[in-house]
Amino acid sequence: MRSATRHRIKLALRLAAASAITLFFVFPIYWLFMISFKTADEIYSYPPTWWPGQIQFNSYAVLFKDGDATTVWNSFVVASASTVIAMFLGTLCAYAIARFRTGGDHLANWIISQRMVPPIAVVFPIFLLYVWLKLVDTYIGLILLYTAFNLPYVIWMMRGYILDIPRALEESALVDGCTRWQVLWKVVFPMCRAGLFATAIFTFVFAWNDFIFALVLTRTEVTTYTVQVTHYFGGQSNFWAKISAMSVLGTVPIFIIVGFMQRYLVRGMSLGAIKG
Amino acid sequence: MRLSSRDRRFSLSLVAPSIFLLLLVGVFPLVYLLVVSFQGITMTELDTSFQGLRNFRMLFDDERLWQSLLHTVIFTAIALPLELVLGLAMAQLFIDKLPGRPVFVALLVLPVVVSPIVAGATWSLMFDQRFGPINEVISWMLGGETTILWTIKPDLVYPAILLAEIWQWTPFMFLLLLAALSAVDKSQLEAAAIDGAGWWRTFFRIVLPAIWPVMAIAILIRALDLFRLFDIVWALTKGGPGTMTETISIFAYVKGFQQFETSYTAAVALMIIVLLSVVVMAALKRVELTR
Amino acid sequence: MNHPLSVARPCAALARSPLSVAIVALVATFAIATDASAQSAAQRAVDAAKPLCAGGKTITIVWEAGLQSLDPLNFSGPEWEKQTGCKVKVVEVPTAEMFTKIMQEFRAGTGAYDALNVIPAWMPDLAGAGALEPLDALVDKYGYRAELQKIAPTYRDNQMTVNGKIYGFPDDGDVFVMYYRKDIFARDDLKKAFKAKTGHELAVPKTWKQFDETAAFLTEALKKDGIYGAAFFREPPYTMYMFQERFRNEGGKFFDAGMKATVNNDIGVRVFNEMRAENKFMPPGVEKFGFVENLATFLKGQSAMTISWPPYGRFAAGYLANEKALDWVPKSTIAGKVGYAVPPGGHPQLAAGFALSVASTSKQKEAAYLFIQWLNSEDISMKRVQLPYALRDPFRDSHFTSKEYLAKWPDAKDYLAALKAGSQTGLLDLSLIQTDKYEEALRQGISRLWAGEDSKKILDDVAKQWDATTNQIGLDKQKAVYGAWAAKSGAYPK
Repeated sequence: MRSATRHRIKLALRLAAASAITLFFVFPIYWLFMISFKTADEIYSYPPTWWPGQIQFNSYAVLFKDGDATTVWNSFVVASASTVIAMFLGTLCAYAIARFRTGGDHLANWIISQRMVPPIAVVFPIFLLYVWLKLVDTYIGLILLYTAFNLPYVIWMMRGYILDIPRALEESALVDGCTRWQVLWKVVFPMCRAGLFATAIFTFVFAWNDFIFALVLTRTEVTTYTVQVTHYFGGQSNFWAKISAMSVLGTVPIFIIVGFMQRYLVRGMSLGAIKG
Repeated sequence: MRLSSRDRRFSLSLVAPSIFLLLLVGVFPLVYLLVVSFQGITMTELDTSFQGLRNFRMLFDDERLWQSLLHTVIFTAIALPLELVLGLAMAQLFIDKLPGRPVFVALLVLPVVVSPIVAGATWSLMFDQRFGPINEVISWMLGGETTILWTIKPDLVYPAILLAEIWQWTPFMFLLLLAALSAVDKSQLEAAAIDGAGWWRTFFRIVLPAIWPVMAIAILIRALDLFRLFDIVWALTKGGPGTMTETISIFAYVKGFQQFETSYTAAVALMIIVLLSVVVMAALKRVELTR
Repeated sequence: MNHPLSVARPCAALARSPLSVAIVALVATFAIATDASAQSAAQRAVDAAKPLCAGGKTITIVWEAGLQSLDPLNFSGPEWEKQTGCKVKVVEVPTAEMFTKIMQEFRAGTGAYDALNVIPAWMPDLAGAGALEPLDALVDKYGYRAELQKIAPTYRDNQMTVNGKIYGFPDDGDVFVMYYRKDIFARDDLKKAFKAKTGHELAVPKTWKQFDETAAFLTEALKKDGIYGAAFFREPPYTMYMFQERFRNEGGKFFDAGMKATVNNDIGVRVFNEMRAENKFMPPGVEKFGFVENLATFLKGQSAMTISWPPYGRFAAGYLANEKALDWVPKSTIAGKVGYAVPPGGHPQLAAGFALSVASTSKQKEAAYLFIQWLNSEDISMKRVQLPYALRDPFRDSHFTSKEYLAKWPDAKDYLAALKAGSQTGLLDLSLIQTDKYEEALRQGISRLWAGEDSKKILDDVAKQWDATTNQIGLDKQKAVYGAWAAKSGAYPK
């Protein structure tokens, strides 16, 4: 009886601690979202109000009216196109490395080390190259860069997933008369569907959330939402309403996607070190 | 394993496109940087003549460069251990049965997937001296109107940036370590408990060795991310006050894209790449990602 | 190569003698008379643009982020589209990043920007690099010279040309104005208390010493009612201009005869120290005040004095306060209570200002040109400077005397008189090769000032950076450019 009470108190304490911690991590996001629903008077009122007097969508209406909201579409185009290409090329490469040990450990190590170069060191020469190739402020330019930047990740992750597939399945398919390509399409890809899905999501999120490449390589046509958010900073003031509404437009899609793929998160984030 | 020539050709054709792209963005820039760094291109002069090691010699005299490197190291040295310890503590809290755990975890994931530039924007809203909630809470606790200038005062600006950084990435550590902890062999823990081993002893003898591989990777990933810290600082202070919080990435951006010191920036970028390659190579050897 | 700043000023030389005024007027009349249709420049731009815009073109224009952009977003952009069929896309860029964005884009050469808002102090750099299109040929082609001449002399003579070529149309009569609360300065109890305390009358300050004394007194007297003696925008990009103004008003020179930076002299240090001390009688957190925060404080009646650009006067007057585009600015509670004066020292900074230019990398320069001619013309600019939400300030002689403008609110005549006075005694922004680098050093210095570092040490560092930049550019080259700038009438107080 006593130990049961103690157990219950301990549980209550842990629950309280967990709630407090979660509140700390969620509150800033709440604040960001809430500002976008406030009126100007509420945003610039002192002391600050903790919730909007009434929900109003004026801040969003302005973004759509002035065309700023299209930057979310730009983000979507470059993130999804680069994801598709990187997944396709990267999975093929991963298969070769996993099954044929193409290039041996050196290639695998070199590829993953490519991911670790700081973007600022890459983006500088890329900018000069793109000026020359006339790729600044184009979809192709951004898609190409995100594809290349995400490839190491895709190769690395898919190599892990492919290694999980029993080799015997492929061998029996080969015996049945399938060509290597058919084995890829009919056995390997379906077998690592979950892995493909999870990796694609991460690739998408990386491209979607990027700021520094887009900051340097976009102007007007393909400005992504992350760059657009910073346009409201400084100058005469920080335009809180626009900053928060734009941020929400860019963040909600990510929240939705992540909501659907909770169980793949850990493997994706740990570069495959944790098999979830 | 010996491959038939057909398989070899097949495998090479699978690898080729990816390698081509990686060379394009991995190796081409390196060559280009090398060329430009020996020239004398600035905003006003498009001087492509050979300048010898002038730009590299300038690196050594550039106090602002080394300061920015120092700031980067400071951010990394403080944020990384804090995120690790806090993440581990949170993982410990959540490892045992807890009602509503999936909901908590789902909510805790959110900061990690927010774009860092948005996270920075969010915290600049939070830190606003008048309309932000942080000063309001502090005023309320101190019982009087308090105006703290988080992003202006030198002794507060580091804590402010670090708080935002830790807010965003502690959940990352938490998720990874929670997964690692769940995989620790329960029977060993029970055996230790029966032996009467204390919590610390159990942790260092059994738990830590078991989660170390994951922890090492988590540390590596975060260390590399912190080394390129840009977005959060950009959103909060742009490197200010003065250049007090300027990181190496911000420094390179300012030199290259605001002051258009093209050739000098190339030298800086090369230095960053070389420096990091040495560190990464050393780290990769120890962490054994390649298992 | 000629150094980029040897600005020829034929118009300035002419404008001084009555005879030349007559000639200009004659030429202008002639130009208008010879134009067959005798249309306005605005109408000419519309007519010429219509065929160019056929098939739905889009003109992209770089504009300062925020309030400034309300004009092209809500008024001039839609209006141009209605009249010509050309869509207008506005790229909003924060002030401190405008130069680098324009320069980056020029280096990239994608043709993303067609027309530009350019701060005149950068014009030599941008023109020198080749980023701006010389406009003389187009000005003649579309008969705009006569209307161009009617821009107020200060702006026309200093913010239009580089090496004698036109690179931009001065489009914003920026000058700092001091705003004060007439009702507070008229209060008998305050007058009496001030006299008792200081021995002289409470009056609108004319020197910084008086300003500090008055503001500190008012804060002490009114703080209990939530009113501070003064508030300024203290974010570094703005304070940078205020420092330039004050430093020169107190007798400071930026460089000595050998082109060594002298901002770190006693005057600079004193101004820095005084500016920091003033924060004590301003609202808490004033160090982070930008244009809008400071405006909100003034409009809500929480500061008795402030110095800012001309739009404050219009916002405070509260005419057309129900304008929807303005609904995020707090409503004015002080309409009718605002007085206008020249800031302490007597020589306000013609801070920033904007000129309209065409990007040399644009793929539709002609259409872009017509758009800015239309924006800048007598007819359209008259509407734009009166938009209640816009930040464009009177910059044509006709704006200062417009009947419509004078009737906007009861004190409008005082307002326009203050603007005109300011524009005549105003000081130009420092303009050199790579001005942005010098300004950046100063901006960083100011952020360190608010952070609490020693003024002398900060300014020594600023001077060191300035000298390093000068040496990098070439001492003699920069010296010549500075010499040409310093010879202008608005460079230093007479």
